[in-house]
Amino acid sequence: MTLIADRPGPGAARPYRFPQVVRRAVAGGEVVAAHLPGQNLAVALLLLDAGAGREPVGKEGLGGVLAKALEEGTTQRDATSYALAIEALGTELVTALDWDTFQASVQVPVERLGAAVELLAEAVRTPKLDPDDVRRVRDDEATALRMDWANPGPRADAVLRADLFGADNRWGRPMYGDPGSVAGLDVEDVTVFHSEWFIRPGTLVVAGDLDRIDLDALAAAAFSGTGGGPVDRGAPIEVPLRTGRRIILVDRPGSVQSTLRLGHPAPHRAHPDHVPIALAGTVLGGAFTSRLNHLIREVRGYTYGIRGDFASSRRFGRFAVSSGVQTAVTAPALVEAVGEIARTQAGGVTEDELAVARSWRAGQLSVELQSPRSIAGALTTLVVHDLPDDYHARLRESLLAADVAQVSTAAAAHLYPESLTLVIEGDAAVIRDELVVTGLGEVIDATP
Amino acid sequence: MPDSGYPWPISTTRLDNGLRVVVSEDRTAPAVAVNLWYDVGSRHEPAGQTGFAHLFEHLMFEGSVNVAKTEHMKLVQGAGGSLNATTNPDRTNYFETVPAEHLELALWLEADRMGGLVPALTQETLDNQRDVVKNERRQRYENVPYGDAWLRLLPLLYPPGHPYHHATIGSMADLNAADLATFQAFHQTYYAPNNAVLTVVGDTTGEEVVALAEKYFGAIPPRLEIPPAPDGRVVPATGVPAGETVVADVPAPRVYLAHRTYPFGSPGYDVVTVLATVLGSGRGSRLYQRLADGERIAQPDLVGAYGVDLAHAPAPLIATATARPGISGERLAAGLAEVVDELATVPVTAAELDRAKALLTTAWWRQMSTVDGRADVLGRYATQFGDPATVAERLPAWLAVTADQIAAAAAEVLAAADRVTLTYLPEEKA
Repeated sequence: MTLIADRPGPGAARPYRFPQVVRRAVAGGEVVAAHLPGQNLAVALLLLDAGAGREPVGKEGLGGVLAKALEEGTTQRDATSYALAIEALGTELVTALDWDTFQASVQVPVERLGAAVELLAEAVRTPKLDPDDVRRVRDDEATALRMDWANPGPRADAVLRADLFGADNRWGRPMYGDPGSVAGLDVEDVTVFHSEWFIRPGTLVVAGDLDRIDLDALAAAAFSGTGGGPVDRGAPIEVPLRTGRRIILVDRPGSVQSTLRLGHPAPHRAHPDHVPIALAGTVLGGAFTSRLNHLIREVRGYTYGIRGDFASSRRFGRFAVSSGVQTAVTAPALVEAVGEIARTQAGGVTEDELAVARSWRAGQLSVELQSPRSIAGALTTLVVHDLPDDYHARLRESLLAADVAQVSTAAAAHLYPESLTLVIEGDAAVIRDELVVTGLGEVIDATP
Repeated sequence: MPDSGYPWPISTTRLDNGLRVVVSEDRTAPAVAVNLWYDVGSRHEPAGQTGFAHLFEHLMFEGSVNVAKTEHMKLVQGAGGSLNATTNPDRTNYFETVPAEHLELALWLEADRMGGLVPALTQETLDNQRDVVKNERRQRYENVPYGDAWLRLLPLLYPPGHPYHHATIGSMADLNAADLATFQAFHQTYYAPNNAVLTVVGDTTGEEVVALAEKYFGAIPPRLEIPPAPDGRVVPATGVPAGETVVADVPAPRVYLAHRTYPFGSPGYDVVTVLATVLGSGRGSRLYQRLADGERIAQPDLVGAYGVDLAHAPAPLIATATARPGISGERLAAGLAEVVDELATVPVTAAELDRAKALLTTAWWRQMSTVDGRADVLGRYATQFGDPATVAERLPAWLAVTADQIAAAAAEVLAAADRVTLTYLPEEKA
């Protein structure tokens, strides 16, 4: 044998480093920056307290329409001129929305960052919002959502969310809205949402070589003409659990796979069990080596992949498992997935599994935090959740220190296999009877 | 203009067994990227064995002589690493990024599956991963609207027998027919050190990597004769446009226009890269300005153009648009063709050129902003062009492209007679 049989151990561990964080109050707003010496690329990201959670019920998708409308011209130039100006710097205006925030960002070679932030601010603070443009953007967005909803997944996600959180609540409706909610928006909805939430200063997040970046100048551009202070962000929401499991069937005739979305409510982001909850989720469904992926993919071959995790925003959270499985094995895949969730809740995790989970999550804090874009994302976490500069180093320590008892306790306390909602999007005519036979819960048809 | 698109050191060594070892030291982050490019892809697959290179890639994660089944993923993730692999028509690559102290583990794992996969390969593993790959095919190509566009474009672009004629995912029939002996032979034929490039980028030194490569890979024997893929460099023009119209469960008409251009890495393909950005990247692009904004016949987020970076034959350029409500597939196809045709007749302006080059510059540095991004390009340039240092030439070459070159390339390779048009139309609903 020519190969070396003995597996090598690790070399000397390098100390963990997160880039130096600089915080500054300038021009009425806050700047949070990370120093990346020698990096040619830089990212600036304007973070506003204007997430989907700020949209009124019935107006879902408002933030998304506004985001697109920002690029339809500003008080200074028309849409084409704006596109040519910002793309000539090497960036597009990238917008993103989650439950807690609205984000607009640019990514450019570092010497162009000042000019790019000026254009970012021009669009966010002073968009033209011409009524004809807004209506057209709304129609385009409704069509875009309709096209997206032709894929497997979005309908199942919406059904799960409504069942977990209640469709009467904003957080029980899709984060980006649905084709109907977007089509129903009018111009005033968009202009009012802008004036209410988009001219407050917010926070400018910067990741790049700070020796080549003038943070004060960036802040002056980003916060120029803004006013209004922070608004109360609301307390965590108490979400009741269901008393029994149920299966909700979303019909997709002819589908060669069934899309699984299983879930229940879970703690919000600031919950003290955050780290052990995350590790329990990692062992169950977060890593390639997780229990779910091992059984459903690597042993059974039912799927290309299955994952499960706990996700949380400032006010609420959820546990969810998602996968696409071959139609013919929908029922056994579902039974086995629920079985793994129940087994994890009842029996906890093993040291062998936890060792992988904690090392993986800790290592990812080095391996996946290299680019300016990913560092900016990490800074965003600090801002949204009011975390200190050394949060990532502390998180790493907490992950590495978590023991089997803590993580098993978290699994026992925060997994509810008997309260799961099991949404299956697939060919109902083929799979309905088998789903009934599983006995996992009453089978209900989703209303189209 | 920058002198170099790669301002980091590069060292290259060839072990006695032919394995090329490329190292680029960068102490910025305490991480290392390990990347192996094997010079085998779906272009090597004979008729009846489509999808085998990719299915084989899956088998490489299922254990080798000293690594138990499921242990590979567990060891890399348990070291804090990220890992994956990809297969395309040209090549197969395997990569992991790990905290720097686990470099030796990553090299041991890669050496074990390069030199010791076959004895660990079982029928059970093959059957399991065949099912996984068939589900990958369902999930990515069959169960989503327009999902099979790439599978349909390739045979329209490249004739039967051409190495790019079939898609990497393969056919269900061929996957069903795959037998264990074929995969054992596949490994013995192509997974040899002299058919691979090992690249390591990050928190290490060239000396350390070469010593470890020698230790773990050094005794793996080379294979003397590795059969080449069919030569696909010349694709005879038919002089007749090709096309297909698919009526399917799709939400709106969509059109793809595709052309064979030049191989990735050639001066002509540098021109095509800039041309594609002028044509179809961003809101300032010609397609967006003309079809989404101007005539308003295309959905804004679904219009674009891109080259597919393949190196062993004229690579495809693809332009695509999806119809706004009420717009027919025919009208959309005509609009798309008109904008593509004008690349040869309406000169690209200085502003269009500057915009495209600025976007490409950012894209380049984004690729270079991680150790894994750099490891992949070094492996590519070493494998496909024989010298990883030539990676530094690509960005300057893009930035040197002129408007005249774009017009000339458009006239040469984007003619209507050489065009492939794939149109999807929604089914008539009762």
